Amino acid sequence: MIATSHPVAPEDLMALLDGELTAEEAQSVSAHLDHCAECASLAQQFRAVSQSLSTWTVPAAPPALKETVLTQATQAAASARSDRTTPLVFWNWKTLAFGGAAAAAIVLAVGSFLFTSKPAQIVSERQMTEPQANPQSIAAPAMATPKPQVAMAEQREMNSLAAMDSRVAKDSNGLFQGAAVMALPSPPMPNQASFATGASARIKGKGIAASTGNAASFAPAPPMIARTVSLSIVVRDFSAARGALDSIIARHQGYSAQLSVTTEQNAQRTLQDSLRIPTSQLAGALAELKSLGRVEYETQTGEEVTQQHADLAARLQNSRETEQRLRDILAQRTGKIEDVLQVEEEIARVRGEIERMEAEQQALEHRVDFATIDLHLTEEYKEQFNSTTPSASTQMRNAFISGMRSAAATLLGLVLFIEEAGPVILIWLLILAGPAILLWRRFRRLHASA
Amino acid sequence: MEDALPAFVLHSEAVNSAPMNGPPIIPGAETDEQLMQAYAQGRSAAFSALFARYRQPLFGFFRRRVPDPAHAEELAQETFLAVLRAASRYQPTALFRTWLYAIAFKILRAHRRKAAFRATFLGAPRELPEPAAPGSLDVEVMMRQAVARLDALDREVLLLREFEQLSYAEIASLLALPLNTVRSRLFRARLALHSLLAAPHVPAAPASKEAL
Repeated sequence: MIATSHPVAPEDLMALLDGELTAEEAQSVSAHLDHCAECASLAQQFRAVSQSLSTWTVPAAPPALKETVLTQATQAAASARSDRTTPLVFWNWKTLAFGGAAAAAIVLAVGSFLFTSKPAQIVSERQMTEPQANPQSIAAPAMATPKPQVAMAEQREMNSLAAMDSRVAKDSNGLFQGAAVMALPSPPMPNQASFATGASARIKGKGIAASTGNAASFAPAPPMIARTVSLSIVVRDFSAARGALDSIIARHQGYSAQLSVTTEQNAQRTLQDSLRIPTSQLAGALAELKSLGRVEYETQTGEEVTQQHADLAARLQNSRETEQRLRDILAQRTGKIEDVLQVEEEIARVRGEIERMEAEQQALEHRVDFATIDLHLTEEYKEQFNSTTPSASTQMRNAFISGMRSAAATLLGLVLFIEEAGPVILIWLLILAGPAILLWRRFRRLHASA
Repeated sequence: MEDALPAFVLHSEAVNSAPMNGPPIIPGAETDEQLMQAYAQGRSAAFSALFARYRQPLFGFFRRRVPDPAHAEELAQETFLAVLRAASRYQPTALFRTWLYAIAFKILRAHRRKAAFRATFLGAPRELPEPAAPGSLDVEVMMRQAVARLDALDREVLLLREFEQLSYAEIASLLALPLNTVRSRLFRARLALHSLLAAPHVPAAPASKEAL
């Protein structure tokens, strides 16, 4: 229809009709149009199309449209007069407020997480005011426990031996009484002696009751009680309380077997102390300890060890008698070497038993003589301005460094995530691509036809 | 040849359909751009004048592109409200007309997207052919059918040119197409429409995409 060799492109002709050409172009094209019948018919086609299109009229817009819009317009104009920029600013404010709140929430969440996960700084110290006391108290039960059954059996045997030879028993009675007194540990306080005499009196009363006429030694001995007190105290001034505690211990001639202090940053300090106080001074010491602060709880237990102690003392005496008799045999009788060796062996065994029981007795008496106080001191916590808080610049520097660190960690995490999840995501994308493309095509088709 | 130069200007509502455009532009009155600025400064009467000028063309814009007249009214209203909201940001760098149709076109696209989405996932009600307006001619019905069979983009270019009287450059920016593409598509659409009108009984179906 249109020759390619035509001097005027048909699109230019159309552009001329649409008034899209410059004046010069329009002139040349319209000049051509005057001479070329082909172009004139094409122009006619364009005009016909436009004409037929112009028959596509549209009914008048419904009046409702006018009212709604104009009402809105007057309202909007009124508000525009009063504050034309307000919506924008308000929007900004709202955004700022919301964003700020969100940021604050995130910072709080992250901050609290970081602070709670920071390891508590624990300062622990052990203090042994009487280092030699501890090995003793530990060693005694250790020696006592291994073979109580065997010891009992041996003891019964010895008892029968003692009954058979009552003369030896009577003779040695005085000696053993003295020995019992002397064997007691060197007492750090006066009442130790009275316990010792009480113990020896009971030995006498049980073992050789008939042979002694000392009335004083028959007086009922006071019960032997190992006291344990648990005390939890909340104090106002932790340092002062700690000093007071030390002086209380010193004044009552006690010692702390184990002491630990926990000083966490920004938290209450606590002190855990296992005190040993002479029983006679227990009441005074307790009263003083309670005056340190508010007592949260207190428990007192008393374990009666009288029976245990008496038993031990009796066994000890029997063993000593046996040893003495064996020594007598060795001194007075003569016999074969074999027999002598056997007797010596027996002496050594009995001696060992005696020593073990003596240690046990000592430990028991120590428990009775020294009451145990498990003290738990807690500071009444007060939030305070910490003078050791790092300076602002230090904090900023630390924050910056940790920020950089977490940024690096985030980047690394991103890379790791991509490495880890990338292949899976790729697979899913491939799987989902087909349906997605189908849907999109359908969408486009409907869109186009709409 | 047959006509003087004025005849080169093709038919268009803006030029020759004064009765449909509502009150004609009062000679010597402010331009659209001045009116818009006046409104932005708080003169609500200015918007009334603008509204009077563009109410019918804008309604026509949607009416020709949306099958449901109720939708067309809704969208026209939406466009005017968008203009109201955006008034404070209006900069008289572009013609008001171009700006208005850009907004209208965005709203139209959003509407089409929603309609297509609904059609894809909810199943569209079969679109009924628009009942002929009372007193409409057969020619008009045929013409509309022919337009409907054009390629979607070609049709859009043609309608924007013929009814909204946008220049090639304005169409290009509105549809995000190169200027030459607009020209060639318009040319193609016109020839296709001409041939469709000349032979209206060609079986319709797939011809719409590959028309010419």
